Amino acid sequence: MGSTVAALAPQFDDAAQQREASRLGIWIFLATEVLFFGVLFAAYTITRVHDPAAFAAGSRLTNVTLASINTAVLLTSSLTMALGVLAAQSGSRRATVGWLSLTVALGISFLAIKGIEYRIDYLEHLIPTVNFLYTGAQAGRVELFFYLYFVITGIHALHVLIGVVVISVMAVFASKGAFNSDYFTPVDVTGLYWHLVDIIWLFVYPMLYLVRS
Amino acid sequence: MNQQPVAALRTYVISWCALLALLALTLGSAYVPLGWLNTVINLTISITQAAIVLLFSMHLRFAHPTLRVVAGSGFFGIAILIALSLSDVLTR
Repeated sequence: MGSTVAALAPQFDDAAQQREASRLGIWIFLATEVLFFGVLFAAYTITRVHDPAAFAAGSRLTNVTLASINTAVLLTSSLTMALGVLAAQSGSRRATVGWLSLTVALGISFLAIKGIEYRIDYLEHLIPTVNFLYTGAQAGRVELFFYLYFVITGIHALHVLIGVVVISVMAVFASKGAFNSDYFTPVDVTGLYWHLVDIIWLFVYPMLYLVRS
Repeated sequence: MNQQPVAALRTYVISWCALLALLALTLGSAYVPLGWLNTVINLTISITQAAIVLLFSMHLRFAHPTLRVVAGSGFFGIAILIALSLSDVLTR
């Protein structure tokens, strides 16, 4: 498949121009992703401004230890992804497959830890409409916090899952020798997506887990 | 992408260390009771981390201005959304 996809499309002067066009394309998509999560962040901001104490109470019920470990896992996966792109660019097939596989493993670890977290939330009766049971002050407002918590982390986890699938596909392509120093755009573009999912988490983490005072 | 592989490798590893250090900082700061300043510190650290990822991992440092404008447009959109929404909510 290498020769067919690696070919320079007729509308481009050279490989560099073709790469730049792909990057522009993915960035337009990423900008819409930022807006997509931005709406959730705006909803969070307005709700929290309305009732800061209930949000602090809700945040104290989240599992900050697992979330912090997960942040480190995701930051590390971003590093391995960057190294995977670098390997693809230098045409090193084995290194590309290795780094991409490691990134997939870290992505799956993130999802597994997230699953454990949800399980604990379930056992602690923190899931709105399923088993939410909170008897403290402003229970309704705390429940609202948990609605946002599950929607934001859930949609983020979905993005991680999509990333894991796409990076796995890239690893398979790489193992077949699809990429070289002239053609590594799919890995490059996948990397940009993965880094953006990382950036979104860097805001989700303090918003949901670190509201302690 | 316009960097030599060895230089790029160095950049990635240094960014990763910085990101983890900032993670420790933001986590630690959350347990110091500073009131509204906690949120300001957390958010400032998040923005710094995002900037590191955008500039170094996502190569915006070397990117064509067109690409930077497109990359910034989403963040600019959110800033407007949140600022204008708050201008309503906070002044009622």
